[in-house]
Amino acid sequence: MNPLVERVVVTGVGVVAGACCGIDALATALHASSSLSADVDSRSPYHRDGSATQGVLSIGVDLSPWVPAAAARRMGRPSRFAAAAAHMALLDAGDVAGDDATTAVVMATAFGAIEATEQLLRVARREGPAMVSPFGFTESVANAAAAHIAIATGAHGPNITIAQREAGALTAVGRGALEVASGRSRRALVGCAEEMPPILHAFLDRFFALAHGTATTIEAARPFDRRRNGFIAAEGAAVLILESEPEARARGARIRARIRGFASAFDPTAARIGWGRGHVALGGALTRLLERTSTERSRVSRIVSGASGSIAGDRLEAHVLREVWRGSTLPPVLAPKGHTGEYGGGFLAAAVLGATQPSAGPTVGFDEVDPELGVTPHRGGGLPAPDVTLVTSLASGGAASWLLLEAV
Amino acid sequence: MLNSVGRQQRRVVVTGIGAVTPAGWGVEPFTQAILSGRTTIGGFTRVDHAAHRTHIAGEVPPEPPALRRVRGWRRLSNTDRFAVGSALEASLQAGLAWPLADSDAAVFFASSTGGLFETERFVHALIDAAGTTAPRGLLASYSLSSPAEAIARRLGATAAVETVSSACAASALAIEQALRAIRSGEVEVAFTGGSDCLCVTTYAGFNSLRAVDERPCRPFRVDRAGLSLGEGAGVLVLESLDHAVARGAAPLAELMGAGSSCDAGHMTAPNPDGSWAAEAMRRALADAGLDSSAIDFLNAHGTATPLNDAAEAAAIRLVFGDRARALPVEATKGVVGHLLGAAGAVEAVATIVSLGAGTLHPTPEGGPVDDALGVDVVLGQPRTSSALRTAMSANLGFGGANAALVFRRWSES
Repeated sequence: MNPLVERVVVTGVGVVAGACCGIDALATALHASSSLSADVDSRSPYHRDGSATQGVLSIGVDLSPWVPAAAARRMGRPSRFAAAAAHMALLDAGDVAGDDATTAVVMATAFGAIEATEQLLRVARREGPAMVSPFGFTESVANAAAAHIAIATGAHGPNITIAQREAGALTAVGRGALEVASGRSRRALVGCAEEMPPILHAFLDRFFALAHGTATTIEAARPFDRRRNGFIAAEGAAVLILESEPEARARGARIRARIRGFASAFDPTAARIGWGRGHVALGGALTRLLERTSTERSRVSRIVSGASGSIAGDRLEAHVLREVWRGSTLPPVLAPKGHTGEYGGGFLAAAVLGATQPSAGPTVGFDEVDPELGVTPHRGGGLPAPDVTLVTSLASGGAASWLLLEAV
Repeated sequence: MLNSVGRQQRRVVVTGIGAVTPAGWGVEPFTQAILSGRTTIGGFTRVDHAAHRTHIAGEVPPEPPALRRVRGWRRLSNTDRFAVGSALEASLQAGLAWPLADSDAAVFFASSTGGLFETERFVHALIDAAGTTAPRGLLASYSLSSPAEAIARRLGATAAVETVSSACAASALAIEQALRAIRSGEVEVAFTGGSDCLCVTTYAGFNSLRAVDERPCRPFRVDRAGLSLGEGAGVLVLESLDHAVARGAAPLAELMGAGSSCDAGHMTAPNPDGSWAAEAMRRALADAGLDSSAIDFLNAHGTATPLNDAAEAAAIRLVFGDRARALPVEATKGVVGHLLGAAGAVEAVATIVSLGAGTLHPTPEGGPVDDALGVDVVLGQPRTSSALRTAMSANLGFGGANAALVFRRWSES
């Protein structure tokens, strides 16, 4: 059996993704035919010659409408993104308050606050440990973003940081939804926050995880495409407001989507870095989620896929989907990481949009079908009437999470 | 059993425990250490601390040679090795051979540093010589989720694998997640706990906060002057009572309830009145369906920083009222140091050991208890009592994260 999430709804979304602040800005960007990426600062000592050059970065984005400078200067960048997204989400939910004794905060990060850690190590190495800043250390902990959301909003419920690579964001949503469904928490602020400083970008490049240009292609994420060779790394944050449906309806809130179900699983065939080949077992876990929530495959009107342009990750994703929809045609597959990149908050916010919008932009980077995958993502334009949306995230290292969102 | 809102819920039991601590690899050396009344905190070599402000920590000794034969051991980070070593011990005690025949086991684990110790060597190489080709294998375990995945890979687990990284409360929160997953029927078995390794970042960081004592830490003492860092891992095998009974496993304890909260006040300083830490304890009691009078002893977070111990003592007084001065308090960090993301798990192991033995472990001597705190810290010698039935383990972390667990000694009746 798997956890059952019922009558928990999304009433607010806040997002910082590249230069986009807010769900409306992201919705506009997702209809464009270009990604949100920009040049990374590759002058750091960490990049090698020929490194990838692109990232979805939020450098210079004005967050002051949501995080005053006096507060922002005490935060690292992931915390600023998260605090801004939380305020946007609370406003989007109808300017509700987060200062409740039971409001939970469940945030995810794939890598934690690595820039603060790197600065600490550099200072300790070059100038000696006595010169290490206590501020920098406190911002280096992975739960800094979740803590700052609680401090900024006054949320005194459970405060949890999930660190499960690419599967963390959906896991955070699922666990937060269970908190609300159980009655332990009145509301939950859930989501993810990430920064992509040069050191992390260079780390990912050294593992050949990032997209790179070739003699015939420019550097771009190409979800499900035959020519894909990696993802575009991103930073930013997304926060969703979850609350019980009766409470949301009682206060007249706009309901963006209902959480119909959540499941997570693991593929033990995966190596420490990379994806495995356990599509049969993962497909079984996803099938059980559909069965447990009484969701016929025919009711899944669209899939918001976590495919990012990774060679092995997209292959596993395609095989899992084909395992579940064996003998049937897949519903429209949206692959927003072509726009938003991997990590950051863009994908999670795009998933909420994808669950309800009548149309979607083209899948950036996709041009050639990969016959091994057999998945052709959405080319842009109208979508079937929204019903149930499957959101997927398969992580390197083996973890997997799925979320079912339902149109209301 | 009914929860706080009157719903019937599945009972969850502990059928295996494992520990890797500065006392050694295994629960047995850990048990001997905590009962000895002597600290394991002292000189260490994991980190070059010559230029640091302090020079002591709790360091895990080299692993037993038999563990080096575990598949892939050489490529694991220290944190991963602590995790896998303690999970293997817990699994054996639970009677669950690896790989699991029934792979419907989940892993809910915690870490604050993951493979940061190894990553630091990579970063140092690049700081010293830009563009160098430091071995990227040092980065392979960087992820905070690496210990959980290392366990899951060796288990052959296919259910949920989730990592909590909420500073010093992380493993208590991971145990809470495991409890909820089993209660809800999501899984029948979960490996849960936490693992962390000493590294430059945490050693320099806590020293920069002036939070580290130059002497082994002295929780709740009148002249306490800060924490001592440690490293290691703790693992609990949790399963539904029905599942344990069906396969003939012998429970060690029952995990009765869990609760958590957030101060939402400051990144490092705990709320001085202890009100939100107290709320986590109350939530754990409510989740267990118990009154505070049912608690026979508390395994405290007890970092030995002036602010933490004062806030935690205030929380204890709020929850236990007039009983607070008579409630025995264990402070495990006095023996092994602060294991950060593993602290809650190792202290949960200590709590289960104390319940099973009917003996409260002492904190090493280090001066008189701060009378202003109003708590009864077990000092010097173990205390034996046949009345130890139910206990609470509490943890308070950076960012105001608070968590509490309630365990009951297993009894067939």
